Amino acid sequence: MKIELNVNGKDYSIEIEEHLRLIDLLRDKLNLTGTKEGCGEGECGACTVIMDGRIVNSCLVMAFQAHKSKIITIEGVEDEDIKNAFIEEGAVQCGFCTPGMILAAKSLLDKNENPSEQDIREAISGNLCRCTGYNKIVSAIKKAAEIKRGGRNV
Amino acid sequence: MNLKACYRPLTLKEALDYLEEYKDKSKIIAGGTDLIIKLRKGNINPQVLIDISFINELKGVLEVGEYMEIGCGTTFYDLASCILLNERLKGLKDAARSVGSPQIRNRGTIGGNICNASPAADSVVPLLALDSILTLESKKGKRKIYLKDFFKDKGKTDIRDDEILTTIKFKTPTKNQGLGFYKLGLRKSLAISRISFSVFLEIDDINRIEIIRVASGSVGKFPMREYKIENYLTGRILDEDTLNTALEILEKDIYERLNGRNTARFKSIAAKGVFKKALLKALCLAKGGGKIED
Amino acid sequence: MFEFIGKNIKRIDAKDKVEGKAIYPQDIYIEGMLYGFTVRSKFPHAFIKVDVSEAEKVDGVVKVFTYKDVPGKNHHGVVLKDHEVFISKKVKRIGDPIAFVVAKSKEIAEYAASLVKVEYDILPAVFDPEEAMRENSPKVHDKDNVFYHFKIRKGDVEKAFKECDVIVENVYKVPMVDHAFLQPEAGVSYIDEDGKIVVIASTQYPHFDQEEIAQALGVSKDLVKVLTPAVGGAFGGREDITLQIHLAIAAFTLKRPVKAVYSREESFIAHSKRHAMKMYYKTGATKDGKLLALEAKIIGDSGAYASWSMNVLRKAAVHATGPYVVENVKIDSFAVYTNNPFTGAMRGFGATQVPIAYEQQMDILARKLGLSPIEIRLKNCFKEGSETATGQILEKVALEKCIEELKRF
Repeated sequence: MKIELNVNGKDYSIEIEEHLRLIDLLRDKLNLTGTKEGCGEGECGACTVIMDGRIVNSCLVMAFQAHKSKIITIEGVEDEDIKNAFIEEGAVQCGFCTPGMILAAKSLLDKNENPSEQDIREAISGNLCRCTGYNKIVSAIKKAAEIKRGGRNV
Repeated sequence: MNLKACYRPLTLKEALDYLEEYKDKSKIIAGGTDLIIKLRKGNINPQVLIDISFINELKGVLEVGEYMEIGCGTTFYDLASCILLNERLKGLKDAARSVGSPQIRNRGTIGGNICNASPAADSVVPLLALDSILTLESKKGKRKIYLKDFFKDKGKTDIRDDEILTTIKFKTPTKNQGLGFYKLGLRKSLAISRISFSVFLEIDDINRIEIIRVASGSVGKFPMREYKIENYLTGRILDEDTLNTALEILEKDIYERLNGRNTARFKSIAAKGVFKKALLKALCLAKGGGKIED
Repeated sequence: MFEFIGKNIKRIDAKDKVEGKAIYPQDIYIEGMLYGFTVRSKFPHAFIKVDVSEAEKVDGVVKVFTYKDVPGKNHHGVVLKDHEVFISKKVKRIGDPIAFVVAKSKEIAEYAASLVKVEYDILPAVFDPEEAMRENSPKVHDKDNVFYHFKIRKGDVEKAFKECDVIVENVYKVPMVDHAFLQPEAGVSYIDEDGKIVVIASTQYPHFDQEEIAQALGVSKDLVKVLTPAVGGAFGGREDITLQIHLAIAAFTLKRPVKAVYSREESFIAHSKRHAMKMYYKTGATKDGKLLALEAKIIGDSGAYASWSMNVLRKAAVHATGPYVVENVKIDSFAVYTNNPFTGAMRGFGATQVPIAYEQQMDILARKLGLSPIEIRLKNCFKEGSETATGQILEKVALEKCIEELKRF
């Protein structure tokens, strides 16, 4: 069947198999391999993408359900503040959770310029990290928010 | 997976047409957060998926007279942030907020939570305490059923293969009423409830319980009303002795229900604390406010 | 003063990772590549007979590999070569690899794998290492299940316990733990333009893998190239071979690129675990809290294969006194085969399990003697020049200062 969608600002009209999930469409058909599959059950959040303004697990959305939607994957994140903050704060280790974490962070900061620590922890509560212990990721998101509010530069 | 076709109807009528045509060969998909896992594990093997997430008439919350009506396609995120649901319904919002993770709440729907009939369905518990009424629609027409009568067994409901659950409605709580919810999970996010309770309470000025409805999750085959404790508490003045007796009744009842399972002792004791927290939250709301710590 | 110490250094791979450009093995797609899916044992202990004929008939299946298709040696293992690449006769745990179905797509490979017929002649299994130590228990590898016994002897514990004013004796158990690294196992194998067999996999030991792959293929090491792209966490769980040899054999035989990606569930089944341990502890002290004697027996559940068990159980024994000076020590640690998932390296490598036991012993001793937990530790902790149970003389020991700091809390 055919679906139309917009991924990272680009329109696609694409033939898909019925059983395809959104993550398969992104990775196998569109070569957007920055979206990772860690569990396939919506537990780890590595496959997080932004769909029509909200974060979703792309392993728990069927590709045909993404018809007419607007998807942002890690490859489409233009926000350098968040990415730089992750690098600066040592929030990146093995990197497999990083794309999902950054999209969860972006989704938070798009709506809330001045999040509390609790807001940040809540926003990334659907994303598992096995390396950092989370604190450095929380600091990175705090720092990104600060920079966005016109605070100190990196 | 053996899928042959997937449809995205834009109206309820169109969805019911597909359902009439494919019946048990098809499955309804909305948020998909449970269904896709079952599909991939081969637990279900439909030929057709009917996606109702594009049907706007099934989404959102409406105030109809003294009732609140929730569309089955309303996501947990939308429910948790709905301004129509007043403070007295905090228990329902708390439950919606406690489902899965932000990603799951953005997709998962209240209708899916009900139709899956999981014993641990978070949002079903407060809806039971609100004595909600479901509307099921098919090509043949509409029928209404109380949520408390909807579950037949673990994962089994009263829905027929040509029906769609369209709305859930309950009376809007008013003065002296409140709805509390509390959940015990292994961790804060993505934790399947170990035990959850919701309490709907109406109490008068001298703390006499006019109405109490208690619902539990994960202490039976499906979310259910706790009638024994309701019957005991109705009409009594809520004081420490009454509460202690009620807790004893609850412990005994749950222990007997779970007898033979290795969780029986833990759950029957822990349930008392979880119920008490839900009750105190309801009480606080019925009394018109104040903050309760989790 | 220092170029790096005390400074925040940006990881060189961080930029690629925040942009989603870092390449993990599952991100590699090669024109015309095939996909592999592993058929695994459903029983913990059984003789097997395998029939792949139905699976090979499926449209899109290129070949189903079993032990018969291993060109070289059908074994591997980081210390003992006790794993088989594919099980030939007897499965020893749930999840043992039996066959590798290679097909034109993931879906076909997975479907055909369900058609591989495995006939199980089920044997009695053993899941408790202590039971496995008994003479009449089922034998996992057709020999004694105890394959490692490490001893530490210092002073005379028997005499010293008689001089103790208080003795605490307890048994401690810790369970298996999975690493749950976030990136499930994945790999790609192909033959490059120089005719070398290339395996791209997330691994902690490309050089070990190279040797094991070469042995299984029956070729010289120079013909095997192992590339490690980005690795999505490991924590010890990628020290043992999982899919590397399967992929290499398939690519080597079929002369086509082959890829495999494990699901989370398969990942849990396929790789090692942290050792479950049962620890018998007897600790004695004088009435003023000075440790006099410690006797411990530590039994490590190695599961079906040895992996790093010898090293892990040795380390557990070496750390068994904790950071405390004890003059009289008797420690015995054992690694035992069972039909459980196999256990190997995981963060701490045996040093992680024993603190549960020795620190609890310290707290219980302190309570019995009316001392504070800090006092008893200060009295016994390693200091400059202390001698450990293995006779090591320690230098530059800052432990006392660390414990003093805890007084503030």
